[in-house]
Amino acid sequence: MTSANHNAVYNAPIPPMLIPPSRWLRAACPLLLAVLLLTTSAARATDWAGPEEQLAHKIAAVTGPGAVAFDVTNRSSLTKADSDDIRRGLLVQLAALGLRFVNAEQAAATIQVTLSEDLRNYIWVAEIHQGTNQPAVVMTSLPRPDAPIPMREPAGLTLRKTLLWAQPDRILDAAVLEGSPAHLVVLDPKQVALYRFQDSRWQPEQSLPITHVRPWPSDLRGRLVLRHDHLFDAYLPGVFCRSSATAPLALNCYPSDDPWPLGSDQFSLSAFFTPARNYFTGALAPGLGKQTTAPAFYSAALLPREKYTLGLFAAVDGQLHLLDGITDRAAGRLGWGSDIAGVKSNCGSGWQVLATRSGDGPNDAVRAYEFPDREPVAVSQPVDFAGSITALWAESAGGGAVAVSHNLETGRYEAFRLTITCGQ
Amino acid sequence: MRRFALPLLAASSLLLVVAASAATRPHYGGILRVALRAAPASLDPADPNQPGSLARSNISRLMFDTLVTLDNRGRLHPSVATSWEAEPGNQRWHVYLRRGLSFHDGSAVTSDAVAASLRAANPTWKIFPLGDAVVIECDAPDPNLPAELALSRNGIAKRDGKLLGTGPFAVADWQPGKKLTLTARDDYWGGRPFVDSIVIEMGKSFRDQMISLDLGKADLIEVAPEQAHRAAMENRSVQSSAPLELMALVFTRDRQSAEEGRLRQALVLSIDRAAMNTVLLQGGGEPAGGLLPNWMSGYAFLFTTDVNLPQARQVRGEVRQASPWTLGYDPADPVARVVAERVALNARDAGLSLQLSGSNSADLRLVRVPLVSLDPRVALASLATALGLPQPKFPGDSGDSLYAAETALLDSQRVIPLLHVRVAAGIGPTVRNWTASADGIWPLQDVWLSAEKP
Amino acid sequence: MSFRRKLLAVFALTVFLSVVAVTWIVSAVTRRAFERSNEERTVALIAQFRREFNRRGEEVVRRVQAIAASDATTRMALALSHGAPDYGAYLTEGKTIADNQQLDFLEFVDSQGTIISSAQWPAKFGYKEISLPAAQPTPKEAFLRREDLPDGAALSLSAIREVNVGDKPLYVIGGRRIDKDFLATLELPAGMRAMFYQNFATEFSLQLLIDPSGTVQQPDRIAPLVERVQQQKEETIELIHWSSDAGDDETVHAIPLMGQDNQLLGILLVGNSRRPYVELRQRIRSAALLVGGGGILLAILLSGWVAARVTRPVEQLAAAAREVAAGNWNTQVEVSSSDELGELAESFNRMTHELLDQKERLVQTERVAAWRELARRLAHELKNPLFPLQLTVENLIRAREQTPEQFEEVLRESSSTLLAEISNLKTIISRFSEFSRMPQPQFQRVQLNEVVANVARLFQAQLRAPDRAAIDCQLQLAEPMEPIAADPELLHRAISNLVLNAMDAMPQGGTLQLRTRQQEDRAYVEISDTGTGLTPEECERLFTPYYTSKEHGTGLGLAIVQSVVSDHGGRISVQSQAGRGTTFVIELPRKSSN
Repeated sequence: MTSANHNAVYNAPIPPMLIPPSRWLRAACPLLLAVLLLTTSAARATDWAGPEEQLAHKIAAVTGPGAVAFDVTNRSSLTKADSDDIRRGLLVQLAALGLRFVNAEQAAATIQVTLSEDLRNYIWVAEIHQGTNQPAVVMTSLPRPDAPIPMREPAGLTLRKTLLWAQPDRILDAAVLEGSPAHLVVLDPKQVALYRFQDSRWQPEQSLPITHVRPWPSDLRGRLVLRHDHLFDAYLPGVFCRSSATAPLALNCYPSDDPWPLGSDQFSLSAFFTPARNYFTGALAPGLGKQTTAPAFYSAALLPREKYTLGLFAAVDGQLHLLDGITDRAAGRLGWGSDIAGVKSNCGSGWQVLATRSGDGPNDAVRAYEFPDREPVAVSQPVDFAGSITALWAESAGGGAVAVSHNLETGRYEAFRLTITCGQ
Repeated sequence: MRRFALPLLAASSLLLVVAASAATRPHYGGILRVALRAAPASLDPADPNQPGSLARSNISRLMFDTLVTLDNRGRLHPSVATSWEAEPGNQRWHVYLRRGLSFHDGSAVTSDAVAASLRAANPTWKIFPLGDAVVIECDAPDPNLPAELALSRNGIAKRDGKLLGTGPFAVADWQPGKKLTLTARDDYWGGRPFVDSIVIEMGKSFRDQMISLDLGKADLIEVAPEQAHRAAMENRSVQSSAPLELMALVFTRDRQSAEEGRLRQALVLSIDRAAMNTVLLQGGGEPAGGLLPNWMSGYAFLFTTDVNLPQARQVRGEVRQASPWTLGYDPADPVARVVAERVALNARDAGLSLQLSGSNSADLRLVRVPLVSLDPRVALASLATALGLPQPKFPGDSGDSLYAAETALLDSQRVIPLLHVRVAAGIGPTVRNWTASADGIWPLQDVWLSAEKP
Repeated sequence: MSFRRKLLAVFALTVFLSVVAVTWIVSAVTRRAFERSNEERTVALIAQFRREFNRRGEEVVRRVQAIAASDATTRMALALSHGAPDYGAYLTEGKTIADNQQLDFLEFVDSQGTIISSAQWPAKFGYKEISLPAAQPTPKEAFLRREDLPDGAALSLSAIREVNVGDKPLYVIGGRRIDKDFLATLELPAGMRAMFYQNFATEFSLQLLIDPSGTVQQPDRIAPLVERVQQQKEETIELIHWSSDAGDDETVHAIPLMGQDNQLLGILLVGNSRRPYVELRQRIRSAALLVGGGGILLAILLSGWVAARVTRPVEQLAAAAREVAAGNWNTQVEVSSSDELGELAESFNRMTHELLDQKERLVQTERVAAWRELARRLAHELKNPLFPLQLTVENLIRAREQTPEQFEEVLRESSSTLLAEISNLKTIISRFSEFSRMPQPQFQRVQLNEVVANVARLFQAQLRAPDRAAIDCQLQLAEPMEPIAADPELLHRAISNLVLNAMDAMPQGGTLQLRTRQQEDRAYVEISDTGTGLTPEECERLFTPYYTSKEHGTGLGLAIVQSVVSDHGGRISVQSQAGRGTTFVIELPRKSSN
């Protein structure tokens, strides 16, 4: 991955285009934010010295030493603190070049510096008025960094989300390998990345490229399934990858139409995925009770009952279908999204369904539901995401689910672990 | 030196940054019905007879991939080309092509085909294939060539009889100027689009488009910038771009005398751009003092947009005789008419006489020119071409050189920027995953149609 | 001209004049009626225009009133009183409301006269409306107003209302355009049209003249009328000739339309085509021509028939008269009617009958007279030689008885005397004989001058004879003379006779003049003497045979001359004055009529 890509921010903050989400301001992770802000401002302070010096030299080349009036206006996305920093830096640089700062009435030249920006750069423009002549204009530019990761709102009381990983590339699935040290496996369209938890953060350990012949379909999906005999399997449309068992890991990918496992390990139910689309065909293997087909669906949640397993299928037709092994009943349009996952919580009835639901504006939310009598009952407050949910998969162990959201502000994909805790 | 060497997968992943805008997974299938005001007679991206417009770029990009794409911040990304490099001097470029691509008819995209396509669009370039690469030799050093390759006119097209592209959609039916039906390519290298087909009805007025949207007969329409605010207030889904269409007055000839220069200056000083924007365009743009908008250049605030009537009168008073100018505008464009009328009224305040004319033969014309690129240099050069101005010279790659080039264009007094206008699209309730882009390009490859309304 | 033709002419003329008179009267009446009707129609149209104008005005007032009372206007007025107007919010307001209320013009103007929103010129927001009526308070009625537009100006039937919701008044000015559509709504009778001149320029401008179709053809023809109304500002009527065809003529009434401030804003032009009148007149003329022509033809036929009936007896009479003139005295005409003509025919028949009787009586009388004259003449002629014969014989007898010795001598002398007198008698008899034997002329080409010269030459010796007083002979011959067809012998004899007569008339001498001349196709010979001349009675009887004024004449000389001249187809005349002389003029045709 190149640095350019790493910094990629889509839907850049061009002011007129955006509707600023109010939810940002309710910070989710103040600590993380503080750390980020500290690091970024420290980085910028050092970055600005060069351009300050450059601009000061350009100004001095026009005015020469002498008494000038000086002012800075900020038209950019820089904060007031930043612009004050830059102003100070410029004053220092200009003073070093022999300029003195006086009132406009006494000045031989008036220097108006405007901190502006274009798509990629900060542009600092100095307009130098001397006498009645046309003002001289000098400018300097420096690359504009991406916007910081926005803050998140705390998770709901019963449904909790924990940020696992964020990256600019699409995350298809992620899984945490408990252990010492813990490992994080992240599946994206071109690789499976392995991270090791070290020094309170995930450190890259290994990257395993995924090879495929056919182009990926739009809305690419993929699922990681942790295995006991080897580390994991990765299911992608038309492609199956199996990791080796021991480190250093290897990944063997080959075209395959094998069905993808549904739900957690305890259900040995698989379903066939359309190779060039984003949904399951509906063919089940080996089947749910006596039913071997379901309507084409995006995702499924399995809820074990005493005598049977209730299969919930978020069908392509927008309806939720309930399959109990014998009948297929459409539960109608519940306002649920396409992604659902069954989670074993040991709270309530023991199993809940996590379902995506459209939140405010472009943001999605996930909420837990139960099916006491085949009708869903919400059992948690919705958990909001700062973007759309692009993936929601039950963890192999069944104790939680992994949700991937595409943060529209940062343009980054964020993988969260969703767990349900009992009580409020 | 190979500047950019991105693996194939990186490129594909970039094109897959599709965000489902709701919790619902994207649906495959459906027909996206689009209405357009423009009625192009040809689909050829390099056809010089067709006026450049955003709508044309939008259509073109559905069928014709470019070698390179620009993201929302104007950064280059691989597309049909995976990497590119310049020989020292930036005059000769090597562009390396992605392997395994095919045109709509299944024929392979070869370096020969790419070279032929580029030649059609750029007669002054020397282009020849070299293995998997294409070598482009410009007539002058051109550090912006990769960004130019991202222009829709440089879309890769095969022109032997039938017009074929490599883009996500293939032409199923084409009634020039009326209707275009596109079908999704299952084998598109960047991933099959979600919608099965796109039907584009052309030559529809803004009003008809709005009615079509309200009646559910169209899923995607253009919204006049001055209507965008009201349309959004009336609970329609309207997406506006950044101000990226330049509305300007262009003199058809160079100033003939210093006196004429003063008259032109008086005209510039008399125009009340702010009123035009807030009233005539209903805030659908922003006053323009420069050719490039501030969000693109970063320095456009230096060009004043304020009206200065006393000075305009004074400058006008320095010239004794002033014959009236004719001001041409596009009579089919209601905003152009009212803006032209306002310009004439403003000019009258300064003692200048402007006679409106719907014909092309006028002393100065009111034109609307889209910014075709998010790269400021390429955008400025394209603007200059579209306005009939001399090509700008960029002595370096600093902001100063861009500023100097734009200042030189403005100082020629051939063009008077008025406004930068946003481009807005009205989106039907079933359209999902619309991502606004800075350059106003429709992300039709990524949208999908929901079976139900929200 | 024959009586029949005269009759025909009189008939035709009478018919023609009648038709002309009727046509003229009908035309005049028609024209008056047409003009009266035109005038009435124009008045009606103008009344209609005014009604329409008023109706529209009321409608505009109503609509403007409705706009002024609307919520949107109230909101605008309230917003205005709260601060500076947000022009953007009202940019299309004017247009939308105007469209809803079907007004062509609508402006919202604040108390300063600043346009808040304009339907007709949206770009003009923030500018001052200068064409507001100066009258305060604002007029209640609709009024004409000049409306400035981006591409010129238009005339508007406007109304203004003041909205006093907030602190400051808001004016609503709405109007409908007075244009071709307005003209098109006027219901015009056939042959009428309405035009409109928008008085936006001091000079006449072609573009400002409109009619329901848009533009008026040949607007320059109407320019003088418009200019007159512009100057005089009063109703004016003029006949406009659009082309050489009189049917295209139009009577145009120009009615000035004044604005609120008494300025001339427009001129309504009502055109009345004269084509119906011209066509009617044409029809009347054609009918008159047809009737006239037919009448004249009928008159000819009728008058021919009548004239034939009337004139046939007259003609018969004329023919009979001609017969009578030709000598056929026995001519009779048919009496076919008992009217005046029949009476005339009877009279004619009686007349010819009597004429014949009288002629016979006259012939007998004349014959008797002629015989008497001949007897007298013969007696006279013969008595003259007989008397000497008697004396001589008696002398002989006496000599024998008295002086027989001398008888021989006396016998000799008496014998010679007897012979001489017998010869004289023979001469007399031969002359009578000669007269009776006058030959027919033998025509040949004759030079008249030569004949006259020969005669002069022949008589030269006698004229100069010593035994008588000398007569001077003068020849005046015209040169050249065309030859004539004549018998030279007879002509010679005739001229000789006249010369002899002239010599006889001048016993004391004198001058004899012989002249020739030609005139046109006739040749003249004049023989003049300077003798005693003749009395008019003598002149009258001169050519009567056996008349003579001379002591010793047979009276046949001039009769012979006249006979010769007559046989040549000529004439002889005489001019004489007593004591001065006599001139005989022989007139001869140059070519013989035979």
